[in-house]
Amino acid sequence: MTDVANGGAVAAFEQERRRVLRRRRAEALVGLLAFSALLLLALQRSQFFGADIGGDPLGRIATFLGRMIPDLKAEVLLEDKHARGSIAWWYYDLPLWLRAGWQTVEMAVLATAIGAVAATFAGFACARNLMPLAPVRFAVRRLLEFLRTLPDLIVALILVSAFGIGPLPGVITLAISTFASLGKLFAEVNEEVDSRPLEALEASGAGLARKIRYGVLPQVLPNYASYALLRLEGNMAAAAALGIVGAGGIGIELQRAITYTEFDTYLAILLLIVGMIFLIDITSERIRHSLIGLEAAR
Amino acid sequence: MSSAMERALDVAPKAVRPSLRARAIPPLAVAAGLVALFAMAADLGLSPGALAAGAGKLGRFLATMLPPSDGGDLMRIVRALGETFAMAFAGTVLAALAALPLGVVGAKSVVAQPALHFGFRRALDIFRGVPALVWALIFVAAFGLGPFGGVLALAIADVPGLAKLYAEAIENADEKPIEGLRAAGAAPPVMLRYGLLPQVAPVMASQTLFYLESNFRHAAVLGIVGAGGIGFELEERIRIFAFDEVAFIVILYVACVAALDLVSQRVRARLA
Repeated sequence: MTDVANGGAVAAFEQERRRVLRRRRAEALVGLLAFSALLLLALQRSQFFGADIGGDPLGRIATFLGRMIPDLKAEVLLEDKHARGSIAWWYYDLPLWLRAGWQTVEMAVLATAIGAVAATFAGFACARNLMPLAPVRFAVRRLLEFLRTLPDLIVALILVSAFGIGPLPGVITLAISTFASLGKLFAEVNEEVDSRPLEALEASGAGLARKIRYGVLPQVLPNYASYALLRLEGNMAAAAALGIVGAGGIGIELQRAITYTEFDTYLAILLLIVGMIFLIDITSERIRHSLIGLEAAR
Repeated sequence: MSSAMERALDVAPKAVRPSLRARAIPPLAVAAGLVALFAMAADLGLSPGALAAGAGKLGRFLATMLPPSDGGDLMRIVRALGETFAMAFAGTVLAALAALPLGVVGAKSVVAQPALHFGFRRALDIFRGVPALVWALIFVAAFGLGPFGGVLALAIADVPGLAKLYAEAIENADEKPIEGLRAAGAAPPVMLRYGLLPQVAPVMASQTLFYLESNFRHAAVLGIVGAGGIGFELEERIRIFAFDEVAFIVILYVACVAALDLVSQRVRARLA
């Protein structure tokens, strides 16, 4: 009797399991079909089939890579830039590129500094525990959200047409996006501060400015600095790209190399940019880790 | 002097009367930083005059943005948006396909040799910094105007970041299910299918969706260097100062980005 009951339960379980498995398989199949259709459509729209890149696409890629790799010769490798095949010949405009690269660094640093200072004010103006006026908090938050949705490059294009070609539109673009993203992060940091020092200050009769100076800033500054440095790393890469639309820095040199179809020069400048980003990343990582160390020691 | 003050001086003299050095360093550091920033601004040739002149022009541009107008080209704009999405989608899928083997190789649990692991991950880090626009510029020059170069640029720009995330997903997978399967005598492919895949696939899929969102958000840049899509339409209109149409396209684009974010958020929530 119990055997039969058990058998019935097992059969019911097996049936249920098969049903669930079948439904899962059907779902997976539909998902896969939809995905494949979308992918095919996307590849077709982006001209992957019958792309007009010449009859022999692999050959084109090979030629292109061949043109990108400089024609270096071992026997003259270390001679000056008049010797065809030397490193100095490949990097024939190195002083100019270093100058433009330094400009890019300056753009990133300035934009990060301006954006971070503005974001500090915004971060206080929309932190629930520091800003008593709800409408101000609401307005600042919406402003930050709006600025975050604007695509950087579009802003840069508009600013280049207003301010003219040069670093100024680039710095403003990066400062705006830094302001928007750091403002939100700073507000979150502010809302997580320990409220006890604030209460103690309030009890001893401190005003808002003193409360922020002695109660909030000591708690939040290491976090602010660490977020701002992370942002600096991102801004460095973004500043290199902004130059392509005329917003100053090394990107202009990239654009120039393309205009003259000097693909090997492009690779040279690209490697220079990669090296610069790498240096900034390492420096900033060091500082951030020591800040975290400070935080932990406190 | 009050007794509380005396006691404080006794317990923590440095807190009550900081040394001259401790008091002088913060303002000096701030001053040095400010001087450096002003020097940089001067070196870049940023001047209040240029700022004011440009701000006036910008104000006039912004004023002409209202009311936004589609310029009678709505169908073309929608098609361009579709093309931009197609580029983002194709680029993300290609990047995911290329990043998968790299992620496996980059996982510490697969290639345990520390020098190789460190070198590989550092290489990924280095190339993670190169923006898609930099790749797009050269691919469009190499493969001709059109979305093909743009897709390749997005894919290449995403590969290092995705590979790193995939490698971390594999490293974070729990070993125990795999060991269980091994103990039960499963063959290696079966071990991967039932031990590793169920753990890493949802994580990887959700990270790939993140990249899809970000690619769609940034795919407008590709049009600027000639890869087509919405960026091309935007650049064209900025060049002829048709800012009412620029505003229209930006609003539509931002709305589409938000819609994709919403859909992808739903899918990610289901995966988790």
